[in-house]
Amino acid sequence: MSQPNLDLLFTAIVDGDAKKAAAVAQEAVAAGVDPQTMLADYMIPAMDEVGARFEANECFVPELLISARAMKAAMEVIRPLLLGRAVEPAGRVVIATVQGDLHDIGKNLVATMLEGGGFQIVDVGVDVSPDKLVEAVQMHRPQIVALSALLTTTMPSMKRMIDRLVQEGLRQRVKVMVGGAPVTQEFAEEIGADGYSDNAAGAVTLARRFVGVAA
Amino acid sequence: MNPRERFAAIMHYQPRDRCPIMDFGFWEETLTLWQEQGYPAGVDPDLFFGMDPQWRMCGCIVGLWPPFPVLKLIDEGETEIIQQADGVIVQRGKFLGSIPRHLRHTLVDRDSWNAFYKPRLRADDPLRLPAGPAWEMQLAEWTRPDRDYPLFIEAGSLYGVARNWFGLERISEIMYDDRPLFEEIVETLADVVIAVVEVVLGAGVRPEAASMWEDMAYSGGPLMSPKLFKQILVPHYKRITATLNKYGVDIVFVDCDGNIELLAPLWLEAGVNTMFPIEVGKWKADPLEFRRRYGKAMRLMGGFDKHILMASKEAIAREIERLAPLVEEGGYIPTPDHRVPPDVPFENYLFYIEEAKRVWGKGLANLKPTGKPEKRAKQDATA
Repeated sequence: MSQPNLDLLFTAIVDGDAKKAAAVAQEAVAAGVDPQTMLADYMIPAMDEVGARFEANECFVPELLISARAMKAAMEVIRPLLLGRAVEPAGRVVIATVQGDLHDIGKNLVATMLEGGGFQIVDVGVDVSPDKLVEAVQMHRPQIVALSALLTTTMPSMKRMIDRLVQEGLRQRVKVMVGGAPVTQEFAEEIGADGYSDNAAGAVTLARRFVGVAA
Repeated sequence: MNPRERFAAIMHYQPRDRCPIMDFGFWEETLTLWQEQGYPAGVDPDLFFGMDPQWRMCGCIVGLWPPFPVLKLIDEGETEIIQQADGVIVQRGKFLGSIPRHLRHTLVDRDSWNAFYKPRLRADDPLRLPAGPAWEMQLAEWTRPDRDYPLFIEAGSLYGVARNWFGLERISEIMYDDRPLFEEIVETLADVVIAVVEVVLGAGVRPEAASMWEDMAYSGGPLMSPKLFKQILVPHYKRITATLNKYGVDIVFVDCDGNIELLAPLWLEAGVNTMFPIEVGKWKADPLEFRRRYGKAMRLMGGFDKHILMASKEAIAREIERLAPLVEEGGYIPTPDHRVPPDVPFENYLFYIEEAKRVWGKGLANLKPTGKPEKRAKQDATA
């Protein structure tokens, strides 16, 4: 069987064409292409390209979402093959919207982009209490905790989350990144977070820096 | 000068006595918390702070009709799950100011559009407007020559409501998976607005402005690409604004939170010429910069950073002075850039209002007093 053109996989994900992404992945699997190569050399770089365009205002939320959907479609094809290969994710992220806040659009976008960037996501949901966060960190042992808030009134919950991680002796085990409409770099530093991003693509860059993976 | 005359003069850069003192509103939690700081319980904040009257809306329905039944589905204690009037199932906090969280959408594809939404968007539905004596009474009020308040006509939404019906993810997919459906929805929404506006304006009503709502931006920018916005939405905004302009309504507001930098010039191109509330945010939107960039064609309302209200009296005074030249120039009515949140101290807000009255209101005798709602009520009764 002839070797499929894997650049088409890259392009399908960048263009947000889920059917084509799945079809090219299927073809590649049938031709015996190493799924790890597909993931590392074409699929994750495709999402990186989308992230770069997003940060440059060359694509927007809809384009980002359909690219992530195409990435997922290709992942569905190669996941069964990766399972037996003990392929490690780039890192594990516990993500939550803080207590008092029911917003999840920003959190979901960040989770989607992190997943596209090769991270394993544990989404704890919205209105998450410090207790619930601690429980999730203890259970899933992530490298990163990502916290989102949309309201100035719920931002202080981020500090309570971090304080609680300190109390439970978990703070040194995780990097904490924060984001959301009212959150700033200054606020992140003030509450003792390790990092801040003002957009979903930047969150992937930050997460990679935390786990020592080159972008 | 009455509020109607003052509003029209400001928006058309004509001579006027002063700027109106208005607000965007307050979170419920803010007023509750302020009671511990001296705000009297049970008093209307606009009366207490001595605000000028805001505009009133022509009561016509340009959205879903009939609405979906509002159903309380599950009581979860501090939160509850309900079906809203727009058909969306949400979880909402009973005691939090947080926006409800969407759990399920009735509108997901063309079939659900045809079954549940399109039938509720009939442009010729007579029930969109009052009928009989009620309509005559409304008309008499709206066309009263001595009407002293600004009147706005509802001019709907081409993206915001559809985004709510679908959810952000699904409407984003629909733009690419079924673009004709997205286009049909936008066209249908515009058709309803135009039909209703034609009836009201055709009956002789002359509002001071039209009002649209979109909320289609976040801190990072627009929720859809400016390219698609221009291709799909702008032609229909133009149809709406052309209808309004035909009847002399030349001030068209759009209410959109978030960073609107990339959308503002496209709205202006489409005849939607008044940006509100110019949320400042961490992207540092600035009414002065909007004026510098777009000139007097773009009118502005809002733009006072609510975070400054949390900071200090000195910072509040500085910002009021900074915005004063734009207020003087016209085409701009300053208000906080969204509802006042509970982390604003009551004392700071009182200071803001007094300073705004002194600088923007020029301290004129026709300003309403602060902190004396009873006196205001008496004044109104004898006016």
